[in-house]
Amino acid sequence: MSQLEALRWIAQTFEESPERITAETSRDRIPAWDSLGVLTLMAGLDQDFGVLLSDAELRPMASVGDILNVLQAHGKISA
Amino acid sequence: MRFILVDDILDLDPGKQIRGLKRIGIDEDYFRDHFPGFPVVPGVLLTEMMAQLAGKCLDAENPSRGRSMLAAIESAKFRHWVNPGEVAIIEATILVSRPQFAKAKCQVHVGEKLVATSELFFSFVPVSQFAPGFRDPVLERYYESRQQPSGQTPL
Repeated sequence: MSQLEALRWIAQTFEESPERITAETSRDRIPAWDSLGVLTLMAGLDQDFGVLLSDAELRPMASVGDILNVLQAHGKISA
Repeated sequence: MRFILVDDILDLDPGKQIRGLKRIGIDEDYFRDHFPGFPVVPGVLLTEMMAQLAGKCLDAENPSRGRSMLAAIESAKFRHWVNPGEVAIIEATILVSRPQFAKAKCQVHVGEKLVATSELFFSFVPVSQFAPGFRDPVLERYYESRQQPSGQTPL
């Protein structure tokens, strides 16, 4: 998956328009990234990428870039 | 008004599958308004039946995880009216069950007729947030019925 595809996936997860989402977009700019959003993200990572993160790993995330880093760390984004 | 929308559990495989029923009374209070002269079970109540039953399947799997709570209705479809006096047979299959969340695919039949389907997303609330000693009466009754010689829950 390319970074662009990952950004689209993140936008879809949070029901955002892809144009609004970049690596720099902070969590507070994404209304659906709330407590349910954390669970939705967790479920999406599990279902779509086989990446199961703990609550503790997900909650400190502060930007879209942090999600991209997780995907990269698990080898889901091609360099 | 009580909000127990599953009367009995018929089969239970904790964390995997569950089947239960709800007998729709002929004089449920909501029929007065939904709708005058055309009483049908509201779709939100059919969804709640599916959520309650799927939740019991999850709670039976791992009570220490917390009580399951409906967090999102990913999809819900209502295909036929459900009328006063009918018996809704509810089924749920757990698609994903993790420590923090779960997903279930559910359906409701009346007789041979598929009347509703849904995919539901659950989170979990710590047991400590509930009243001390709280127990699920429907699950309890199911477990008690399994200990009886017949092992059957009557329809």
